[in-house]
Amino acid sequence: MNLQFISDGPALIVENRTRVLVVADLHFGIESDLADHGWHFSSRSAERVKKVCACIETTNPDLLLLLGDVKHSIPKTTQQEFFEIPGILSAFRDLVPFMVIPGNHDIGIGRFLHDGELLPKAGAIIDGVAYLHGHTIPSPSLLGHLIIAGHHHPMVSLHDEVGCYLRAPAYLAAELDPAKLRCAEKKGMRRKTRVLFMPAFNEVAGFDILRIIRHPFSPLSRSIRTDTAEVFLTEGTYVGPVSALEDDVAA
Amino acid sequence: MLLPDRLDERVRSCIKKRGFFALSDPQMQAIPLILDEKNIVLIAPTGTGKTESAMIPVFNALLSTPSSGGIRALYITPLRSLNRDILSRMEWWCRELSLSIGVRHGDTPASERRRQALAPPELLITTPETLQALFMGKRLRRHLAGIRYVIVDEIHELAGSKRGAQLAVALERLHVYASNFQRIGLSATVGNPDEIGRFLCGARPFTVVRVPVAKDLEIAVKFAGESFKQQVETLSSMLGRKGSTLVFVNTRVTAEALGHELFERGDVEVHHGSLSRDVRIDAEERFKRGEINTLICTSSMELGIDIGRVDHVIQFGSPREVARLIQRVGRAGHQLHTVSRGTILATGFSDLLESLVIARRARANEIENVIPHMNAADVLANQIAGISVEYGEIERERVREIIGRSHVFSDFVSLLEDVCLQMQEHRLIRLDGSRIITTARARKYLAGNLSMIHDERKVPVFDMVSRRTVGTLDESFVVGWVHTGAVFITKGQLWRVIEIADGKLTVEPARKVQGELPSWEGEQIPVPYSIAREVGGVRRNRTIRDYTSEPAGIRYAENFLLDMDKNHSRVPTDQLITLENTDEGVICNICAGHKANEAFGRVISIILSAKFGTTVGIELDAYRILLRLPSHIRAADVRDALDGLDPAHMPGIIRLALKRTALFKWKLVQVAKKFGAIDPDADFERISIQKLLDFFDGTVIQQEAYRELLSEYMDINTAAAIVELVRKGEITVTTGRLSIIGAEGLLTSRDEIPPPTADQAVIAAVRRRLESDEVVLCCMNCRDWKSRTVVSRVPATPQCPKCGARLIAALKPWEEPLCAVAGKKKKSDEERATELRLMKNANIVLSSGKKAVIALAARGVGPENASRIIGTLADGDAFYREILKAERNYIQTHRFWQ
Repeated sequence: MNLQFISDGPALIVENRTRVLVVADLHFGIESDLADHGWHFSSRSAERVKKVCACIETTNPDLLLLLGDVKHSIPKTTQQEFFEIPGILSAFRDLVPFMVIPGNHDIGIGRFLHDGELLPKAGAIIDGVAYLHGHTIPSPSLLGHLIIAGHHHPMVSLHDEVGCYLRAPAYLAAELDPAKLRCAEKKGMRRKTRVLFMPAFNEVAGFDILRIIRHPFSPLSRSIRTDTAEVFLTEGTYVGPVSALEDDVAA
Repeated sequence: MLLPDRLDERVRSCIKKRGFFALSDPQMQAIPLILDEKNIVLIAPTGTGKTESAMIPVFNALLSTPSSGGIRALYITPLRSLNRDILSRMEWWCRELSLSIGVRHGDTPASERRRQALAPPELLITTPETLQALFMGKRLRRHLAGIRYVIVDEIHELAGSKRGAQLAVALERLHVYASNFQRIGLSATVGNPDEIGRFLCGARPFTVVRVPVAKDLEIAVKFAGESFKQQVETLSSMLGRKGSTLVFVNTRVTAEALGHELFERGDVEVHHGSLSRDVRIDAEERFKRGEINTLICTSSMELGIDIGRVDHVIQFGSPREVARLIQRVGRAGHQLHTVSRGTILATGFSDLLESLVIARRARANEIENVIPHMNAADVLANQIAGISVEYGEIERERVREIIGRSHVFSDFVSLLEDVCLQMQEHRLIRLDGSRIITTARARKYLAGNLSMIHDERKVPVFDMVSRRTVGTLDESFVVGWVHTGAVFITKGQLWRVIEIADGKLTVEPARKVQGELPSWEGEQIPVPYSIAREVGGVRRNRTIRDYTSEPAGIRYAENFLLDMDKNHSRVPTDQLITLENTDEGVICNICAGHKANEAFGRVISIILSAKFGTTVGIELDAYRILLRLPSHIRAADVRDALDGLDPAHMPGIIRLALKRTALFKWKLVQVAKKFGAIDPDADFERISIQKLLDFFDGTVIQQEAYRELLSEYMDINTAAAIVELVRKGEITVTTGRLSIIGAEGLLTSRDEIPPPTADQAVIAAVRRRLESDEVVLCCMNCRDWKSRTVVSRVPATPQCPKCGARLIAALKPWEEPLCAVAGKKKKSDEERATELRLMKNANIVLSSGKKAVIALAARGVGPENASRIIGTLADGDAFYREILKAERNYIQTHRFWQ
């Protein structure tokens, strides 16, 4: 299995027998939520779609996997979303077959999807790799695999001696601690389970990795070993262990 | 005709009733002109009867022409809470002359406003903001048609600000209803009165009436001591005199500190903008009544708030600007024809020299110019929004015509276009062909954005360890810069941000000095270039005695310079820049004033940060710049950076330098608010603000943020001129140790300059990571020595301490057991393969030394890859990029993920 980091996404190519392009947390429709919070921008959906299509065209995958939170508004679907989402999805469909693992913001997304496009929200295994949006407890069948998850929108802040100079989306890779996971069965627990948290594709989403580590907000993030967790930038550069970031800021 | 004869009988009797037996000079000059229906700007010091100069002829005119219903005269004052004394005087006049008067400002109750809408007063006193609001109501608009006189008080305060630019446009909007009303501006002393006239009248004719001030001013400069304690004692000794004293200070912090020290005297009060209105009014009243005879105040007292007669004015610390000194001292000796006496108490070496220079200039009438904001995009947006609500829909050309009549917008057709498009993006207006149409949001936007003043909400800072609030931060600043993990200083302590939620910033104490709170004190007054240079000249020529005859000051200054000589420190002057090494970084002593130093400092910072891949912290004042740098960057490096600087490139460099700084983001947020992109009560807690701010890249909002910063906060042209002088050899640069001049003084403006590209930043992070990685060294010669250490401690050519050989393998910590294999006598096939690998490893270390050790510490890099990387002969940053490439390749493989 090969992993390719697409920095202008950010996105992942997972290649085994099939070539899968993984994109997480698109959050189409976020502009109306921003407006409710006092930030007024016109819809950037067109640019975002173009960016996804550009990724598809450069990487030429067999399958596009949308790792949840394709749309933004909870719990309803807004006017903006009703208007835009069919067009967005058919733009993808025109280029490549796709599937969706629904996230917590995807309530009602089924109405926009064709048969076979919707996967279970507790996760799915495609070609030996497990995928999960990240807000739920993973299905036991995912254990023992590499789990690629979204939902957490990881972002890293790098500091030097004098101050902070870089804030960017990032990947967080960590091992799952079987003891911490509350799960029905732990059959596959003999093999290590690693989780790779993907950054959000959406331009404005982001949570600092240190916050995800110190104040975890999902069953998945609560079950990882933080002492060995590692941080990567969107083009695959290994930044270092999470502990180095903490030293940077804390020491 | 003699002046009194031109005045109505009733007006003449009022003058007598007020106790004026003669009209003042300004009044004698101004009143006839106003009676002749000329537009005028009256420049005169406080307390010379300026208000009456305007109001007497206006009242006269109001009496002689019948009322048409509606407002007839507008008196606009910039004070947010109106000058109660002017108000009570006007109320008296109107009562005597049976004219109706009304006041309308932010705090006017709704019932009063409604009354005014139904039965408008003939004279309306208002603020620039409330004038904006008058255009929004249909009924009120109708009442504007009869306005014949507009008086703008304290116009010098307005002309240089965006608030003033907004007012200038408002007057042109008024012109549409009440064409060609008479314009009267009342101003304190400025260097360029004609500009004030143009600001007020646009292209229309006007006359300037100037009442000279210098002959009535007496300014003394006294050295108050080097320590705060001595300075307080000196001040205290001056307060014992008969009469009332105003003590002006430059910051609220100083006001509070002095108030605290002098509290026990019982006759001293403090007055500044942060205090509540009641507290301020109480202090004003008690001062007026004589219950206290000293008021310590900041610039909040500069404007015409009347507190009765002031006998003495003391300026504690240099006033920074000539205009400010003149306005402040002008409060002394309020009665006409008396001399205004003021004393500056100088608080240190640079402060003393600066005070002396400013005093000289004040006596010579060399006063700073006021520079209006020309073509300010956010003012334009704000006014387009106002006009679109006023008219509902309107042709773009008409908008251009109205706004173009003001002095502050010219040649702005393409700007207008860009601004309209941007406003549409934020749904503030709609564009339909050549028409501008208002939107549903626009009224709400206007209600929250009547003013160009940025109403900074203060965000409380809550320490979760001690569970109490430790301070506040400006909201725009929090929005633009603060993020989880940010470290800053407040109340002398270090704090790290835990979260931003529930309207407050939760923090915990941080331990290491890393990143300071970027801060620029909004109320700090910048010292102009000309003054700083003159101070530099005094330092060079040692001509203190030309400026003062006060023995204490002369002695102090001359000794200070002698001490510099004794320490072999070169004295930085207008022709010499000294760069000094300190523990925290490098201090650049440049006598150029705040704005030029701000520009210069940032340019040098970004060059250094790009070159060395590190963030540079910057703090400065008018005479020195502290560059916070990692310890390996020294004064010589700064000089190199300066040597390589081409003045022509500096404007471009500074835009780059600004882009990711806290100052820029703060200003970006403020401008964006005026474009309706951000509501006044926008939520900034759960949203990744940094990313949203990126949306403004390349927009007119970003452009305006740059324009304002480059005109208000930093002067790149002067900085470039200085660099040019250095190039030509007219200014020399030396390096050395920290001197007493370098160590002096409170640095007022702080920020951080991150490296210009992320690439540099990442390389720096990786460098650090590799330096701190553990490595196991094992000798492949004697096979009897191994050592576990970190990469940073490995010498340039590793050597075995036992046998002296350099054939050392550098292994990752988990490969340590392999060393044992090397020492075995009998090896299996597998073990022989391991031995071969170790030899390969050691050979690379033998030929390439530490570079090999670093490469071998990287993830997934073994002898083959290390050899290849070193074979590229890449050095420095390029070397690390090769390492990163190799790591990335490894990370993508199956091996890494299983």
